[in-house]
Amino acid sequence: MASHGISRGSGPLVRSEEARQKELQQIDEYKNLADLVNTKIAEKHYTIEVLGLVTKLLNENPEYYTIWNHRRRVLASLVSAETLEQTPDELLQGDLQLTFALLRKFPKCYWIWNHRNWLLREGEALMGAEAAHKLWSGELQLINKMLHADSRNFHAWGYRRFVVSQLERFTPTVAESAAHGTSKGLAESEFEYTTRMIKTNLSNFSAWHNRSQLIPQILRERNADPKERRSFLDSELSLICEAINTDPFDQSIWFYHQYLLSILSASCPTHQLIVQDLTNGERQKYYEHEMEYIREILEDEADCKWIYEALLGLAEASLEVDAGTGSFTTKDMRAWLNELKRLDPLRRGRWDDLERRLSL
Amino acid sequence: MPKVPDEMQLLVDKHVRYIQSLDTRKDELEYWLTEHLRLNGLYWGLTALHLLRHADALPRKELLDFVFSCLHESGGFGAAPGHDAHMLYTVSGVQLLATLDAFDDLEARVQGGRQKIGKFIAGLQDPQTGTFAGDEWGEQDTRFLYGALNALSLMGLLHLVDVDKAVQHVHACANFDGGYGTSPGAESHSGQVFTCLGALTIAGRLDLVDQEKLGAWLSERQLKNGGLNGRPEKKEDVCYSWWVMSSMAMLDRLHWIDGDKLTSFILQCQDPELGGLADRPGDMVDVFHTVFGIAGLSLLKYPGLDEVDPVYCMPRSVTRRCLGK
Ligand SMILES: [Zn+2]
Repeated sequence: MASHGISRGSGPLVRSEEARQKELQQIDEYKNLADLVNTKIAEKHYTIEVLGLVTKLLNENPEYYTIWNHRRRVLASLVSAETLEQTPDELLQGDLQLTFALLRKFPKCYWIWNHRNWLLREGEALMGAEAAHKLWSGELQLINKMLHADSRNFHAWGYRRFVVSQLERFTPTVAESAAHGTSKGLAESEFEYTTRMIKTNLSNFSAWHNRSQLIPQILRERNADPKERRSFLDSELSLICEAINTDPFDQSIWFYHQYLLSILSASCPTHQLIVQDLTNGERQKYYEHEMEYIREILEDEADCKWIYEALLGLAEASLEVDAGTGSFTTKDMRAWLNELKRLDPLRRGRWDDLERRLSL
Repeated sequence: MPKVPDEMQLLVDKHVRYIQSLDTRKDELEYWLTEHLRLNGLYWGLTALHLLRHADALPRKELLDFVFSCLHESGGFGAAPGHDAHMLYTVSGVQLLATLDAFDDLEARVQGGRQKIGKFIAGLQDPQTGTFAGDEWGEQDTRFLYGALNALSLMGLLHLVDVDKAVQHVHACANFDGGYGTSPGAESHSGQVFTCLGALTIAGRLDLVDQEKLGAWLSERQLKNGGLNGRPEKKEDVCYSWWVMSSMAMLDRLHWIDGDKLTSFILQCQDPELGGLADRPGDMVDVFHTVFGIAGLSLLKYPGLDEVDPVYCMPRSVTRRCLGK
């Protein structure tokens, strides 16, 4: 009822009688299994045998959300039962394997991710802190595999942030680990992970996004002083400038560039700032430096609209800081806007509005 | 009015017949494998028919019988009889009742029915954060928050929940690019932008949105072929034409993309033989992409279609009746 990327020509328009009979038989088997599971659950037969039937049905149709609920009903009952045919740990491992196998086949199915999340939370309640820590750590391996298969998987990135937040409850506070000279916090290794993902594929916006989320945290955990914060900002800017130079047509990169410019602004909320005591003079220098760099790229890429958009954004930010800057003129801004109109007619209405807003 | 070449007309009659045919496919395994979407499917189909000005193409009584057969004692709806109650289906149930002008039918069949449904939804709000769970199992997502405000406002029961808290939660989901994700810290995604803007519009709090930035991000979803994608560097898809466009409509920035090109992209996704629309030209059609394609064309003022409400994805005449505005 909601399919993606399946070609219309891939199936025969008219089924042969044989194919039709076969499909009717499949329907029969599927419906019988679904009826059996629903009946058993209605009768509260929360047994290992029923769990097996539930597994079979979910393998056939992981989108059948009610059956996942049934599964949790059975599991909850089995775990609390007096006579244990399977230990809670065996049950948990079985479900971790089931959901892993299903996620490999259906990486975008909400219900599987949801069940996995439930399993981990229940597992923690059942098994105590140490085992729970091991469980959550194992999740990062699963997520790495999922993101290796599809580096933009929305569910996997969301689950990754959740798992990290769960793991962070176990790590000793950063102050403690600094005192004991132990290794870096999770935020640092997550930050390094985004670096690796970006280096593999510059247009992975999910990785750029996650990077932006981690930055305030790692600076806080490093107790970074103003000087360290400035050098951090410089290294992020040089990373993104290198990326722009590599592929100026990739919008992921430009959104991250916009992010870095937005945290230079005086109107940026304090908790998101990289440098907390930036002066207007420094701001102006950053803007001028970026503008100069981007204008250089322009010489080879005169038909890249992102460049003109960035230049206008920088000009606007500059004007907020200092109206009398000499690095560009209103005439330049008008020329950039005209390039945007020429190169990007799809968004003509937006450029017309921008022209009015900037009074060009 | 968009310029459309002759061979690129909206095939109204074929789409009507396609939607009518959906419940006759019981000899296909796919019909049974998608039972968990049945109530959503009815809402998608009925909404498409209303926008196509064939509101009576599905029989009202049978529709209502089915809708009520999905209603649980708890006040929540399941996807089909025997399926558990969940926010996703409860919203579709309420939208169907609203579209069929059947809140009186509801009261006649279930005394205090509206209050019951309202209480089911309100019970899913997280009092700490203001967001909503989908059901008793606890998954939380801005989709469910939007669904709650959508259904409650249609029933005139918004006062049952803490709207301010919900608004704060949505605001906490805003990203530097102006967009919104499933939860605080999650990457911006057009579907989630639609739900968050919809929730803020219902709450009357669009003032919290960075409209310039978000409008720009949304406009960049349009690709050279006219179609829209859901996130940077992803492929175009008809369902995103709805989520992106309705969001732009809520921000009054629909003119920031090329409507003619998008119209022609959506029309190319029609199945010219059997009706219905697909995610991309040449792909298999389904009722989900059919309604979002048609609703998109309605926002683009394609001739001969009824006006759609960008916040609810329902006929504007219906939301006007329910909301009194
Ligand atoms: Zn789609």
